[in-house]
Amino acid sequence: MSVVEVLLGVDLGSTTTKAIALDRSGRIIGRGITNTRSNYEVASQIVRDEALVQSRFELVRHAMAADPELAGIEKKFIGSLVRNFRQRQHLEQLEWLESELRRCADAPRYAPNREAVREALNHICQAMRARVPGHFSELAVRKSDFFRDLAAVDYMQAAEQFSDAKHASFDVLCGLFDAAILVVENAAGDRAFERHAGPALEQTLAAAPADIREREARLRAAVESVRSLELRVLGIIGTGYGRQRLPFPKEQIRSEILCHGFGAHAMFAGTRTVLDIGGQDTKAIQVDGAGIVTSFQMNDRCAAGCGRYLGYIAEEMNLGLHELGKLAQESTCSVKINSTCTVFAGAELRDRLSLGQKVPDILAGLHRAIMLRAMSLLARSGGISDEFTFTGGVARNPAAVSALQGLVQQNYGVRKLNISPESIYTGALGAALFAQRAAEGGNAA
Amino acid sequence: MSTEECILAAGIDVGSSAVKFALVRDGGNGDASVLVLHNERIRRRDLRKVIREGYEASLEAAGVRQKDISYTASTGEGELVDFRRGHFYGMTTHARGAVFLLPGIGAVIDIGALHARAMRVDEHSRVMAYRMTSQCASGSGQFLENVARYLGIMLEDVGPLSCEAKNPESVSSICAVLAETDVINMVSRGISRSDILKGIHLSMAGRYTKLLRSIDACGDVAITGGLAADIGLCRALEEKIAEEKLAMRVRTHPRSIYAGAIGAALWGAYRHRVLARRTEVVA
Repeated sequence: MSVVEVLLGVDLGSTTTKAIALDRSGRIIGRGITNTRSNYEVASQIVRDEALVQSRFELVRHAMAADPELAGIEKKFIGSLVRNFRQRQHLEQLEWLESELRRCADAPRYAPNREAVREALNHICQAMRARVPGHFSELAVRKSDFFRDLAAVDYMQAAEQFSDAKHASFDVLCGLFDAAILVVENAAGDRAFERHAGPALEQTLAAAPADIREREARLRAAVESVRSLELRVLGIIGTGYGRQRLPFPKEQIRSEILCHGFGAHAMFAGTRTVLDIGGQDTKAIQVDGAGIVTSFQMNDRCAAGCGRYLGYIAEEMNLGLHELGKLAQESTCSVKINSTCTVFAGAELRDRLSLGQKVPDILAGLHRAIMLRAMSLLARSGGISDEFTFTGGVARNPAAVSALQGLVQQNYGVRKLNISPESIYTGALGAALFAQRAAEGGNAA
Repeated sequence: MSTEECILAAGIDVGSSAVKFALVRDGGNGDASVLVLHNERIRRRDLRKVIREGYEASLEAAGVRQKDISYTASTGEGELVDFRRGHFYGMTTHARGAVFLLPGIGAVIDIGALHARAMRVDEHSRVMAYRMTSQCASGSGQFLENVARYLGIMLEDVGPLSCEAKNPESVSSICAVLAETDVINMVSRGISRSDILKGIHLSMAGRYTKLLRSIDACGDVAITGGLAADIGLCRALEEKIAEEKLAMRVRTHPRSIYAGAIGAALWGAYRHRVLARRTEVVA
């Protein structure tokens, strides 16, 4: 069996946990991300598995690119393979969610209305299953990449339809979901590639156009060669909010400030100031020419000004995080938000909505509010020097970025703003690079 | 119409997580009685619809029609109760409702989803002094609801679980939203759900005794608002009061969460009589 050696960096965030897999040459071959709220051990296991699954897809791509008969079609083929793979994973989790829901509904408290609750659950689950293909079709714009988010939106919509106030109230159905999803989301996708890659391949081939099916044998060989590979993890470094609780020995842990500085430097070598808005903390970091941290400021005591602020708002509005920024960009007249506290801002949002103010205008105000908090943190860390790199999950939000750009221009003048589409992985990349360094040091010794 | 005639009044208390309804029969001589109480959790539904449906359900339960109600009063965030006749400030309705339910109290602490406020009241339910929590949701009802959700616990189980705690985990003030991580940390450290909840209840209770002290409350203190139904929080408040050796006694009533709605209905009935008397004088 052939072996591919990989180095892993794991960034245990509060909202999401990320992993990056590098090959020996330092090339990124896999990324993993999860939003499980379980303990850190489970989260890092899930994300590790996910990064290794992605690495295998990347290796399939390499194998196809190396085969002259397959080169050129890999993007389309793998795109479809991955979609089928994800759909199978989703369906598996959904099946499990159903059985958990039924188990929760067997609690004695529901005994008087058991039949009504069960029937409502049956209808809901049926509706949820019917929506799955839509989430994974080629043209689908998914609200989120995470099972919990997708399932929650589908469930709530169906629950509203199938609840009845007397026997199976919306409230009861919500409670059941909260209890059931906790169990389901905390399961690692162990050996997911082995289990799902085969059926996903069959599904992909069955629906493929003739020009791809012609090369079926070679495609099977490419996927099979990767399926039987051993991915050997040479080294792993952990960082992030939960790093004290990482299931790694101490020497495999680096501070998240160091990793973010280093990761940002690896993405954009000219970086001097880094703003990272993660789920539960916001960091303003100044680095030198080698990516080493010279000063920093951090807020991790209050959700206002962190990514969780926007996450909370999205939940309030039953929207996916992906949609929030896009909606805010439709604003013509941003509203000034009075509340600082996230929960209060959520209440203010509801008040404003019920008074008939426009969703985009309110959302634009909320995006500006989070950026104002970041600006004050940046000022305390030593201002903004050229080049300025913005990382973390919030950097993927276009409305947040344009609010930041406006404020930087206003307060500091022209600065080059770097944002990588993979910026959410900055900390994990820094950690993986530290792992690579450690592995090289180990070889030299 | 005679001002001494029995009238029906409705109170609608619009909170940020639930809407409470009360239908009251008022005889005009302080002999009021509650006909129907109804609680409707909002759960991100359209608020106008929740209010309308809850109101209709209350009328149906009492077997009356809207035209039988002499006065419909709103309190709390009542702007959306478009069919109301008047609005009363939350402070006065909670004071009125609490004194109605628990005569003889000297203070009220209203603990809702977002705010807590302490009021010192006299026997006519006049508010003599008050103090509210600050602009941060740490330690609010919403905070507790979030924690319950992260722990996968039904809201009604929170109180009983908290009462079973053996070694409450001490919790300092934590952000209501970031509490998710703190709670995850506690769970992964192997702390039981009971001990986590009790720790949070004690930390919240500490906040409320501070509020109560700042208004010089003494004697019987009524808990109102949604959290009055949380037996764990009431116990924790009793413990804090004992620990700080304060001259207060916590009192609750099974209908405490409806204090605002009942108070609004009672004030509504009162105002209706005042208005009717004026019209009579003019006539």
